Amino acid sequence: MSLSKNHGYDTNSGDMPFKYVYTHSLEPEFHSLFLILHKIYHWMYQIKESNRELVTQHYLGTTYEKRPMYYLKISQPTNKAKKIIWMDCGIHAIEWISPAFCQWFVKEILQNYRTDPKISSFLQNLDLYILPVLNIDGYIYSWTTARLWRKSRSSHMNGTCFGTDLNRNFNSSWGGVGTSHNCSSSTYCGPAVESEPETKAVARLIENRKSDILCFLTIHSFGQLILSPYGYTKEPASNHQELVDVAQKAATAPKQKHGTNFTVGPASSVLYQNSGSSRDWAHMIGIPFSYMLEL
Amino acid sequence: MGWGQWEQPVLGTGHKYYLQFTTEDYKTRENVGTCLAIVFYLERKPTPTVNIKCTYTKDQKEVQEDDQRFYQKLRQQTKPIIGSYIPDSYGNIEPAFESAWALAVVGSSYIMWEKSTENLGYFMAQVKHVKQWISKDDSIDFDYAVLLHEIPTQEMILCHMRVIWIPNHPLKVKYFCSSENQSAESEDVSAVLVYEDDSENEENFPFRTA
Repeated sequence: MSLSKNHGYDTNSGDMPFKYVYTHSLEPEFHSLFLILHKIYHWMYQIKESNRELVTQHYLGTTYEKRPMYYLKISQPTNKAKKIIWMDCGIHAIEWISPAFCQWFVKEILQNYRTDPKISSFLQNLDLYILPVLNIDGYIYSWTTARLWRKSRSSHMNGTCFGTDLNRNFNSSWGGVGTSHNCSSSTYCGPAVESEPETKAVARLIENRKSDILCFLTIHSFGQLILSPYGYTKEPASNHQELVDVAQKAATAPKQKHGTNFTVGPASSVLYQNSGSSRDWAHMIGIPFSYMLEL
Repeated sequence: MGWGQWEQPVLGTGHKYYLQFTTEDYKTRENVGTCLAIVFYLERKPTPTVNIKCTYTKDQKEVQEDDQRFYQKLRQQTKPIIGSYIPDSYGNIEPAFESAWALAVVGSSYIMWEKSTENLGYFMAQVKHVKQWISKDDSIDFDYAVLLHEIPTQEMILCHMRVIWIPNHPLKVKYFCSSENQSAESEDVSAVLVYEDDSENEENFPFRTA
């Protein structure tokens, strides 16, 4: 199997580090690997290149299998300091609609911000930080090997057990209700809180910028739910009513447009109890609006 | 679709749930009926007692006609329906497999009814393999391997299921389930691109004698 440099990408600037293409592409696994890496990195590269006035690409961290994680910043250059809305997709590999949603969302914003007054209005006051695929290793694995894979691809127990549920790995009552300490479980919380490089990468940025972040959104499937904190306890969040009111407003949009019903409420009552979620953690460190969407 | 549900702890003996919900056709999503139910989980007993009353949008005659149509469609098969991974990785169900998939949903609901507890629920994620047997009698006869998504553990449970049905009779479902653990990768190797027709492999259909 030979590796060849992928021409056409500016490898010097460090923003397109996926340099290698498997040329031995006869096996379907290699073909789908190429396809999915292309979908993730090349898509981001193209979006950034064709929307330079609005979009910049930023390094967030590295996955377990040493793949770079990037987020896109969509920002209308102005003099004023703007609050941030963070959105990540694909924390669970099996939920393919989630990264697709992030990509669709970015496309919608970029295609319409000049003509849609609502979009141009909120871009005056807000920056969007979009992470299209959080669990890159797991996502790739779900394309090349096991469609139903959910977790990351970290190795445990001397390589006999793989993957941590990244949405059980955050510092929000880590290891508690609704998680497993068994590495073969689909909801394995990891050997320690924030043990996974993917978790650390997200947590580091969010922690650093938390005073600027107005809203933390994490996208999952499925169920048509808008879930507010908390999952680890049935105790209501400090601004519970406000969280629910805003989510109810959001739910009216798909209802009016498509007749779709999104159920709104705290995760522990609407879905099930779970600890170590990014949604809970973001709220616990002081981000006022934190939601997990189940598409 | 629940819209009203409340729970009453019954001291020392269990939990009683009061439910109001509508049900919809799995495929067309049209409203099929409205139900009121009391579900009582006795302590240490996984299977609850259920008191349920429903009003249906269709009468018995319409339901029987629907069943007949479905039955005829399946009986008209000249070749037995054989397939894998329904829906596919992108969520698509080919028209030719819709009936087999629908029957799998019904059969799976029997399994889910028996397996679910106060804290464990299920959803049929995928038909891994299906093989129809053309029977000499009038029955519809299918072998399945189905994947049940277990909530909230998020595990995928592999169940082998045999479904036999004649209209106006209850479904006959035989099954056994194993845990298709996240660490057991061999099952999933060809999950995405190479849809091997494993239906000839006898291991997939353990309810058949040679």
